[in-house]
Amino acid sequence: MKISVKSFTSPKGYVPLTFLIVLLFLPLFLPTYFLHVMITMLFFAFVGEAWNIIGGYAGQLSLGNAAFFGLGAYGAVLLTHYYNISPWIGGILIGGAAAIVLSLITGLACFRLSGPYFAISTLAIGEVMRLFFLNQRKITFGAEGVTVPYKGNSLLYLQFLSKAPYYYIALALMLLGMYITWKIEKSRLGHYLVAINQNQDAAEAVGVNSVRAKQIALSVSAFLTAIGGTFYAQYIYFIDPDFVFGLGLSIEFALIAIVGGVGTVMGPVIGSFLLRPAMEFTNAFLGATYMGVHLIVYGGLLIAVVMFKPEGLIGWMGGLYEWFLELLSGKEN
Amino acid sequence: MVFRIVIWERKLGGGSSLLLEVQNLSKRFGGLQAVNDLVFAAEEREILGLIGPNGAGKTTVFNLITGVYPPDSGAIRFQGKNIAGLKPYQTCINGICRTFQIAQPFREMTALKNVMTGAFLRTADVEEAKRKAEEVLDFVALGGKKDILAKELTAIDQRRLEVARALATDPRLLLLDETMAGLNSKECDEAVSLINKIRDKGITLIMVEHVVRVIMSLSKRIIVLDYGTKIAEGKAEDIRSNENVIKAYLGEEYRRAIRQ
Repeated sequence: MKISVKSFTSPKGYVPLTFLIVLLFLPLFLPTYFLHVMITMLFFAFVGEAWNIIGGYAGQLSLGNAAFFGLGAYGAVLLTHYYNISPWIGGILIGGAAAIVLSLITGLACFRLSGPYFAISTLAIGEVMRLFFLNQRKITFGAEGVTVPYKGNSLLYLQFLSKAPYYYIALALMLLGMYITWKIEKSRLGHYLVAINQNQDAAEAVGVNSVRAKQIALSVSAFLTAIGGTFYAQYIYFIDPDFVFGLGLSIEFALIAIVGGVGTVMGPVIGSFLLRPAMEFTNAFLGATYMGVHLIVYGGLLIAVVMFKPEGLIGWMGGLYEWFLELLSGKEN
Repeated sequence: MVFRIVIWERKLGGGSSLLLEVQNLSKRFGGLQAVNDLVFAAEEREILGLIGPNGAGKTTVFNLITGVYPPDSGAIRFQGKNIAGLKPYQTCINGICRTFQIAQPFREMTALKNVMTGAFLRTADVEEAKRKAEEVLDFVALGGKKDILAKELTAIDQRRLEVARALATDPRLLLLDETMAGLNSKECDEAVSLINKIRDKGITLIMVEHVVRVIMSLSKRIIVLDYGTKIAEGKAEDIRSNENVIKAYLGEEYRRAIRQ
């Protein structure tokens, strides 16, 4: 990518830059609760990007990504708990490696299947992991869950007393996810994944090893999702199998990308920035009086998108963004 | 009436001009013997025709050669190496590429990206794949439509696109499955000259075709299948007067037509 002065004087350059600068300075102004909402938005944008690689580009509807998420979360917490290992190593390296191993097993078992059968079998893998961690009580504490051992303000242990550091890590994760996705999209692998998604037989006929391409996509997705799990555990300080390995979480990863727009770099970001606040605010305002109303709002949004804009909101948002850019450059001339 | 069937005989020893040798190939689907003990070969730079009535097993032969499914028995030697049982992407890496009877482009991709997907077989570099794809698109006269989505191309352009996508993989052997079905006579002529151009690049072609006029003019040698069995093989002029072929495929009308 060429970067010149001109890149920043045209709206195409300075508008994204302005967004980024606003995001960078946001923690200085936002009250704690809104900062928390922002963190979940950035964080879910990241795990949505991770899902998007296998679910969007390769078109393999994975409903088991929570399995990788849980490994990242449990890797971080349990290894700190038992051996005082930093979550950078325990969660991201060891948990991430475990997620990659699980992705290889998943690939071996599930890539023979396609369509709904693939989705169902990945769902089963998530459930197997959930039940395993639920039942190995001696090691994992089962349904009681585990609390992150308190270490005070420590970058090494990925624990902070204020929300701002978590915010910046979440922002960095989202940008990392977008960058990796963008890199894949531009590469041969990205072309292959889209080709497999559109017509696997035709792709095989022109020399695409579809199993290998899908496997790489799943493993990258698994590793990134595990990093997400580590971050989640360190941010919330508590994990239990029903949530981190839960089907609800797997579905949420998928929804964020589907609502925003599958197979695009910006899709999961748009999906997360719309769905997360909707979920958080309805939960905050209505959660106490009407339990579960946020789920109705969530479901309603999903139905609306699937019915009226099946390619995701990126269609509208992209058009709006283009229009905005034209408006800005029009004013200049 | 004089007719002669030239039965292909396996060349012994250094017969290296054979690119593809199909030896005693058989495939059964349940109660249907789709291909039965089939023997044939394709020489380097040849345009070999494969004809026969519907359900004769022509597409199955393509599917066996490209590895869509493994044969029940028999061998497929490509450049001396047995490739029977390889997966489709592996046969493509070896240098065999095919088009489909019903065009199967990547519908939501532009023409250029479609062909780039093929070009990526020989290079991981995006710019190089793009250059190669543009070159091939020009070769099949689709250069001006490279930025159009495949699904928006006409059926004929979609077939051209499929040929381009296959050519981008640098095949030694190209299998064309009814590329000309539904073309008018002008389009047919364009397709014929394209196929000749492909052959002139040093690529061997095997084509399944129903447009008898076309295949007779393109192919020096034709194989006729019926119920999965080879019923004739030989030069075009011999095939068209072969009693079995007329009975199974060309029909009595055709006999009357050529007598006149």
